[in-house]
Amino acid sequence: MNRKIFVFLIIGLFCISLVYSYDGPKILIKNATVVPVEGNPMNNTDVLIEKGKIVKIGRELTPPSSAHIIDASGKYVYPGMVALMTGVGVTGYPGAGSDINETGVSTPQMDPYDAINPEDPCIKVTRLGGVTTVMTASGTRSPINGKSIIMNLEGRLAQDLVIKRYAAQVFNMGAKREEKYPSTLPGVVSFIEEKLNKVKQYLQKKENQEKDKKEETENGKKSFSIDLEMEALIPVIKGEVPALFITNDEVSIRNALKIIDEYNLKGIIRASKGVLKYAPILSEKNIPVIWSGTSGIPGRWESFDLNYHTAAVLAEKGVLFAFDPGGGRLESRNVRNLPVPASLSVAYGLDEKKALEALTINPAKIIGIGQMVGSIKEGKTANLVVWSGSPLQMSSRAFHVIINGKIIPMKSIQTRLRDQYKN
Amino acid sequence: MRNNFVVFILILLLMTGLTYSQDLVLKGGTILTIAKGVIENGTVVIKDGKITRFGKNIPIPSGVQVIDVNGKYVMPGIIDSHSHIALTDVNEATDPVTPQIWMREALEPSSDSIKKTLAGGVTMVKTMHGSANIIGGVNVTIKLKYNEPVENMIVRGVRQQIKMALGENPKRVYGGKGHIPSTRMGNAYVMRNAFIKAQEYKEKWDQYERQKQEGKKDIKPPKKDLKMETLKMVLEKKLGIDCHVYRADEIVWIINFCKEWDLDLLQLSHCIDGYKVPDVIAGADVCYGGWVDWWGFKEEAYDGCPYGFDMMHKAGVRIVINSDSPVEGRYLYLNAAKVLKYNDIPEEEVLKMITLNPAHALEMEHRAGSIEKGKDGDIAVFDKYPLDSTSKCLMTIVEGKIYFDYAKESVTVKGAGYE
Repeated sequence: MNRKIFVFLIIGLFCISLVYSYDGPKILIKNATVVPVEGNPMNNTDVLIEKGKIVKIGRELTPPSSAHIIDASGKYVYPGMVALMTGVGVTGYPGAGSDINETGVSTPQMDPYDAINPEDPCIKVTRLGGVTTVMTASGTRSPINGKSIIMNLEGRLAQDLVIKRYAAQVFNMGAKREEKYPSTLPGVVSFIEEKLNKVKQYLQKKENQEKDKKEETENGKKSFSIDLEMEALIPVIKGEVPALFITNDEVSIRNALKIIDEYNLKGIIRASKGVLKYAPILSEKNIPVIWSGTSGIPGRWESFDLNYHTAAVLAEKGVLFAFDPGGGRLESRNVRNLPVPASLSVAYGLDEKKALEALTINPAKIIGIGQMVGSIKEGKTANLVVWSGSPLQMSSRAFHVIINGKIIPMKSIQTRLRDQYKN
Repeated sequence: MRNNFVVFILILLLMTGLTYSQDLVLKGGTILTIAKGVIENGTVVIKDGKITRFGKNIPIPSGVQVIDVNGKYVMPGIIDSHSHIALTDVNEATDPVTPQIWMREALEPSSDSIKKTLAGGVTMVKTMHGSANIIGGVNVTIKLKYNEPVENMIVRGVRQQIKMALGENPKRVYGGKGHIPSTRMGNAYVMRNAFIKAQEYKEKWDQYERQKQEGKKDIKPPKKDLKMETLKMVLEKKLGIDCHVYRADEIVWIINFCKEWDLDLLQLSHCIDGYKVPDVIAGADVCYGGWVDWWGFKEEAYDGCPYGFDMMHKAGVRIVINSDSPVEGRYLYLNAAKVLKYNDIPEEEVLKMITLNPAHALEMEHRAGSIEKGKDGDIAVFDKYPLDSTSKCLMTIVEGKIYFDYAKESVTVKGAGYE
């Protein structure tokens, strides 16, 4: 009997230890200037992390026993940055190692989850730069491209990394083809609309079929077959998954807004040009913007700083916006440069606080994970970075990166090269 | 009487011309001289397009335009020694050897890219042939004198540089067409063969010139060949060399090749692997040209490492930060600040990477890259310390003339045109 209890106890302890190690260690960051993004900076402040979450923020917190302590005196704690529209995890190796942009005009069923390579060196390079969460898209070259997933950049297997399987469907208003339909913008518009109409019909059929399932089976009738292309668009047409429209000028923004309106979609606009004119409408309709045009060069007759200044105007008009790490494609290698457009925008008029929001909480909100990450708040996932200064300064260094409440080794392919060639 | 009147008018015209375009005083700013430290509340005097005085308590000459730069930062104009702006064409990708191409012939003085680049405090660029060819065209070093005649833009009195390229680009362009080169061995052969031919050509012409001098009659000049003419200039060191090269083995290869042929290799561009062989680069006294953190965009760029600047700086390599892009050419100062994120290099050394070092790479160190007496009046005025990533350029001055003025050009002044 005693022996049985003893065995149970051992097994129990083993299970507890398993749970404990799974959840990650307890971490106490001490004496930092905490910049929570939502709320004002707090100096001499501690942050306690347990089981992957931020559990307490305050002064002179007593460290729980076995807590790992990070002394952050004179340093700053910012929430990990959130980068949208990346190729991290699927495009790390050049050439045949890259897996974005499947062939086809309409490939909404393409799912980056199926191609995630947790060994992609871009993952480590990205997180060392203070970006802890990314949205990875499947491509951008077609009118209808595919799904996007969200990852916290920590984990051994694809399922450890991914925190949201279907964050958005990516449409591209500028994906005209050569000598094939659709080869014009109106062509792209009607191509997308035709597909959305088809999805509506498919959905109708599917719902009817489910109702009549019993009857059909009895009659031996087969009138419905699964179409993965259509299936991928159902949550979009239902407004459950955002429809992210890549636009490249004023005209394509207008048409994206038309489609969003007509089909009652949950829209997101990725804009590189011509967005200011629509700022009041976007603000009024609560349609967020991924602004990718900051470093773009304005036209001959436009002011040199039109693009640098755009974020300031978006903020002023109350548009929910985030910065894009790439200037028109899916960035993977230098997602760590996400603050570059934010810094340029600050130089040309954007408020620094707004710039930080656009790197953290705004992108999180845009893809529906604002409750989880993007700011330092009790109860949120512990994605934090200890910096020497503001991430808006290119000269600032990240000393510690914590993702999912785990301390990330400050190692990447590039630190390996550094260590190899240092001497 | 009449003669006197003409002379008077001429002098008047000359004077107004000079004061209008070439004389300027910047008063009360923080001067980052680059070569001679920082001067608080200093003044810079530019006369006839040259810096004549700078420092504290400098008397202001009368009749000269004075710009109050109190609270602002004054630095030498930023220099980009690897750019492709202001050109109508870039790559004559039809033959791996095209030294007959001169980029000055593609210069477009009214190109909008000049205006947009001036806004980033840039005053001089070397605008270049592309990287499709083993031996490309002759690049052209220009001052960003927007919309002025080509003759005024091109920098005189210094050597221009021919573009060369190794590695994947020529392999891809010509291998893809079923031509040589499609391997690095082919790259090396094409380069070597071109210089052997050029050497033969040069010897023929040298012999002809010698015989002509000796007064020999009945001699016919050898046939002119424009490709060979340019390469002869390279052999005679009338042209320098800028070589596009990524991998460490090829960096070593081109340095050895230029040593073997006694050629003046002035800059290595896109030099991704430079940190692996810093001693070789420093030993060859050639400038490293590259980006701070680009990497992985193709196979030969895979080992790009932003931490490598430390190693090169320690080895004494003259580091130049380039844009190679009309976009990044507008914020080289911001890219320069990234060096500090990854390396322990003093800030004044980092500022040199976009001023004095590229000036050296262009053999313009005696005229540009720092605020010193006698140098060209090429100046950028910033609202904050230029390595502060939230700073912006307010004014760009080339040889004493204002070519960019934020207060006149900004969208906040001019409006976006749809309000």
